[in-house]
Amino acid sequence: MNNVRPVLTVARWTLIEAIRRRMVFVAVLLSAAFVALFAAGFVLLYGMAEREMAGVSSGVGTGTGLLAIAVVLTVLGLYAVQFMAALLALFLGVGSLSSDVDSGTLHAVLARPLGRGQYLFGRFAAFAALLAAYCAVMVGALLLVARLVAGYQALSPVRAVALVVLEMLVLLAIGMLGSTRLPTLANGVLMFSLFGVAWLAGIVGFIGGLARNETMINLGIGVSLLFPSDAVWRGASFYVQPASFLAFTGNAGADASIPFAAATPMTGAMLGWAIAYPVACLAVALLAFGRRDL
Amino acid sequence: MADRAEAPPAIEVRSLRKTYGRSVALHDVSLTVEPGEIFGFLGPNGAGKTTTVKILVGLARQTGGQAQIFGRAPSHLAARRRIGYLPEHFRFQEWATGYEMLDFHGRLAGMDAAERRERIPQVLEQVGLAGRGGEAIRRYSKGMTQRIGLAQAILHRPDLVLLDEPTSALDPVGRREVRLLVRALADDGVTVFLNSHLLTEVEAVCDRVAIVDRGRLVRAGRLSDLAGAAVQLRLLMDRVDRELLAKLAQHGEVAEVEGTAVTLTVDSVDVAPTVAETLIGSGYRLYGLVPVQPSLEDVFVGLVEGGDG
Repeated sequence: MNNVRPVLTVARWTLIEAIRRRMVFVAVLLSAAFVALFAAGFVLLYGMAEREMAGVSSGVGTGTGLLAIAVVLTVLGLYAVQFMAALLALFLGVGSLSSDVDSGTLHAVLARPLGRGQYLFGRFAAFAALLAAYCAVMVGALLLVARLVAGYQALSPVRAVALVVLEMLVLLAIGMLGSTRLPTLANGVLMFSLFGVAWLAGIVGFIGGLARNETMINLGIGVSLLFPSDAVWRGASFYVQPASFLAFTGNAGADASIPFAAATPMTGAMLGWAIAYPVACLAVALLAFGRRDL
Repeated sequence: MADRAEAPPAIEVRSLRKTYGRSVALHDVSLTVEPGEIFGFLGPNGAGKTTTVKILVGLARQTGGQAQIFGRAPSHLAARRRIGYLPEHFRFQEWATGYEMLDFHGRLAGMDAAERRERIPQVLEQVGLAGRGGEAIRRYSKGMTQRIGLAQAILHRPDLVLLDEPTSALDPVGRREVRLLVRALADDGVTVFLNSHLLTEVEAVCDRVAIVDRGRLVRAGRLSDLAGAAVQLRLLMDRVDRELLAKLAQHGEVAEVEGTAVTLTVDSVDVAPTVAETLIGSGYRLYGLVPVQPSLEDVFVGLVEGGDG
């Protein structure tokens, strides 16, 4: 218990900081605006499609067509949420240690009977909690809108949220690792570049899948191992789609899938890697930060 | 009493060495600070004072040698529980109020809620910030920030307080207040390690002093020992001529002549009456005769070459 108390003290202080610096306020405001925009767009586009389909004929194709439109809208909306959350995670992770080192506020704090590891885990816990809450609320809100408007049933909202949160932990942890040694700006440039490369690799892997090109698929996987954020999102995207749609795309082969989303679940090996990844990042961060002269 | 005799020193540094890449910040520094002492650590900027303190509070790790706080390495949380520290670049979370920052530090120091509620207003008062705890640190002046930093350092009643240039942002009144605060801490049995390049400040409060220059300890000891046994007499005459200087040379060494004022270095202050009698007996008129101890500044400048270098 004696070891946990300082961690909680730091986590609490970090949360107060997030609130006091208006980070939470701005995030809530923008998120509310985004959900409203998504709801309006969904109602409008889905309603339009519904009327058009009704005009053509009623048959098996109509249901699938409408379903596809709902899936595309929902997946794109969630993709945007995931993207915003990822930026937030990177932003929080990148400056998590270095900004207080640079400003000098950490000197008095770390001279206290507080281990460097306790400080690091306290920061991580607070940011992880913020990101988890953000992802759960946003993914939940979008799926709820889709359900109310189109009767949309995601395969597993819980798994989808869990994987999106895991993606954020990956980003937060690697950002924190960089933050142990790099100045905030340099770390930010590095992390956003890596994030961009991972995103690109995801697209390359997707196209490779369509083209059945082994090299492109392997390139996608290779980059995913180095920086698994996009791979975890693809894992989450599977559970976001309805079972009926997945059955349809499954029958039609990968060609019928949509970019930014996967038609098959994440492999167990990739999932294991994605869980081990932030743990490893934090372990290395602890070593790097523990030895650093301030 | 037996326990006290065996109590480890508040600070013990042996052959401490610190290098950053190729540059050497500390060469072989050794010093001991006994519990209850006010210890002054003096040196020009860049001499290695802050590096030493950072090693003592666990922010930096030495390349060689040993540093101990009450018999334990600074990496030990138990050692750090007993220290209070004011960093050189006192910066605190600007978004927080002074009270909140102290509350955070109180929690980290292991104080419970009741202790914090009682103690925080006390330390705010002690550093001259009574009633200002509710303001955001962002709005504090530099001097106020340094004061809240001092409050943070003494908050949990530590046994050892390390202050790195604690008056750099304070005006003369503030400096005097810090001197009184340091004395009050010493009266309560707290050991104070004061890093400073302000000689008068150190001279006014410290029991013992160490002088560092370019990473080396050049002198350590009681203030009176540092200055050496030599005493000077300052004489104010009606006139100064060769005959006078010759007579003075019989009693000591003429150190300085400035107008009609002569500074004479003597072995003991006991020669003063004899000097006076000689001069008056020879027809000189004596307007003043004052024995003076060489100031710490004289010692310091003598030891540290190149001033600010």
